[in-house]
Amino acid sequence: MPLTKETFSNLYRVMVRIRKFEEAARRLRAERKFPTGVSLYTGQEAAATGVCAHLKKDDYLTSTHRPLGHCIAKGADLKRLMAELCAKATGYNKGKAGPYHVADPTIGLIGANGIVGAGIPMAAGYALAHQLKGSDGVAVCFFGEGAANQGVIQETLNLASVWGLPLVFVCENSAPESPQMLGHRMNYPQLNIKDISVRGVAYGLPSATVEGNDVLAVYEAAGEAVKRAREGKGPTLLEFKTYRYRGPFRGEDAGQLEEEWRKKDPIPSFRARLMERGLLDQGDIEGIEREEGKAVEEAVKFALESPEPSLEEAFTDVFEIGEM
Amino acid sequence: MVTRELTFAQALNEALRQEMRRDPRIFVMGENVSSDRRQVTRGLMKEFGRARVRDTPISEASFVGAGVGAAIAGMRPVVELMLVDFALVAMDQILNQAAKTRYMLGGKVRVPLTMRALYGAGTSSGSTHSESLYSLFAHIPGLKVVIPSNPYDAKGLLISSLRDDDPKLFFEHRLLNRLRGPVPEEPYTVPFGKAEVKIKGEDVTIVATGLMVHKALEAAARLTEEGFSAEVIDPRTIVPLDKRTILDSVKKTSRLVIVDEDYERCGFASEVAAIVADEGFNHLSAPIKRVATPNVPIPYNPNLEKQVLPDEEKIMKAMRSVLTYKKFKG
Repeated sequence: MPLTKETFSNLYRVMVRIRKFEEAARRLRAERKFPTGVSLYTGQEAAATGVCAHLKKDDYLTSTHRPLGHCIAKGADLKRLMAELCAKATGYNKGKAGPYHVADPTIGLIGANGIVGAGIPMAAGYALAHQLKGSDGVAVCFFGEGAANQGVIQETLNLASVWGLPLVFVCENSAPESPQMLGHRMNYPQLNIKDISVRGVAYGLPSATVEGNDVLAVYEAAGEAVKRAREGKGPTLLEFKTYRYRGPFRGEDAGQLEEEWRKKDPIPSFRARLMERGLLDQGDIEGIEREEGKAVEEAVKFALESPEPSLEEAFTDVFEIGEM
Repeated sequence: MVTRELTFAQALNEALRQEMRRDPRIFVMGENVSSDRRQVTRGLMKEFGRARVRDTPISEASFVGAGVGAAIAGMRPVVELMLVDFALVAMDQILNQAAKTRYMLGGKVRVPLTMRALYGAGTSSGSTHSESLYSLFAHIPGLKVVIPSNPYDAKGLLISSLRDDDPKLFFEHRLLNRLRGPVPEEPYTVPFGKAEVKIKGEDVTIVATGLMVHKALEAAARLTEEGFSAEVIDPRTIVPLDKRTILDSVKKTSRLVIVDEDYERCGFASEVAAIVADEGFNHLSAPIKRVATPNVPIPYNPNLEKQVLPDEEKIMKAMRSVLTYKKFKG
């Protein structure tokens, strides 16, 4: 796909949208407007944005328990997404899903997942459906370095490879230098390899490790993988090295962490490049910031003003027909 | 014996610490078990080292399977599953390999494996982070199912689990972790298959497990204001189940309400109801009532979640219904 000014501008816009949405989510959670905590994606925006830029509405995507970036990059409506986080009737899933399960099948987003790794084989099914229907649709599954060790991904890499499924495996490795789980440094590492992409070789898949905080690098690598899938040439495993904002933790130097993170933040670095190359000027940047900020604030307002689901909703949707 | 107040989580921590000192075959593994943020395993890594307190990758099938293997090979693993919902990723290892190996091999091996898991709803954590699921495991021959409701039982039942030769699921309700109660300092055991009568009563028997024991006790206290008394029984282990204590109570009260946070269909409450209908039919003067989670997944919205969970009000309603029941006299 040729990189036009519009493409650059959209990549920047989507990253800003995710960032602003998550900032609002962080604020609403602090104000106890969500009934539970939400796992945030802040810092990894380049990965979802660069991959989803190649996806069409009927391409499928499976996400994780950290879904907001994937949802927004796939085109989720901010109002309905925020309303779901607030557990409101107007949310994507009537307030029944919440952050761990939110989904919008109408845009191929099915969906977040509360079980680590569980979306991966489902994505193989979505890809298989495209293959069987003879469409040029593809599926993408996002997962973290933790999920990379689930048994089910080894099985799915093999299955997708032998069936030549139109599937792109996207591993967002957010702890490339320090193996951590839930912010805790583990006493045994999770992985004995540096790059998860080497596993693709074992199953006969093309695979690559790419700088995941560089949205253009992501865009380029994902473009090739999605193209291969669309052309019936089979699956690809992409690993993006990312760096998620972890916030200050007990016993750690918050200032230093913050500073490390700022250096890796994908948004200001892309902005600087765009301005340097004259693709966007200060006015464009301010316009994007203002528009996306406004859209997010409208989503917040919509969510907060929306009604609660009726209590009967607790008992609906179990089966298509008949009693529970 | 020195007794002091501990939280549920501290009582479990003490049980692990004391038994690990006593028995070098015991080791702990699971996601983040070496972290000081995990209350139940806090400090164990420091005392026992990383060989015996092992962080695992997010690979439930493999580390549960490794627990089964190590148990058969003479160790006494404690596998922590974080939430019981995540056990579903490792079901072949739990329901086939852990549960059936001893039997299939004609009793030639033992599987002394303790699988600890948080369970339960009430935190708006959504459908795959809120389940109880103990009935699912109780259904499979070969697994013991332990559900402590207070710090004293938590310590005693965990020590029993660590000394027991069979595979078991040990359920810890996520809302009980901070509950405080008296716990003796010395190691002690609470036997499997021995229910505790929490309060004595004359008019209705309530059987409840885990967090629901507390809801049942609150409802029982309210019932006294209406001029009736309830007997509350906590089975503490649902496999093995102390049928005798339940049947003896129903013989006295003639009415039974079972409070069960797991899904209603084919669940623990149904099992107790079936046992009493079968073996205590003549004692009954009213139908048996189950207060369980209806057959829907747990929703995210807190009001909807409250709709489906058993609570004091639903227990009151069930008790009133059995207390006012009049047999048809034709």
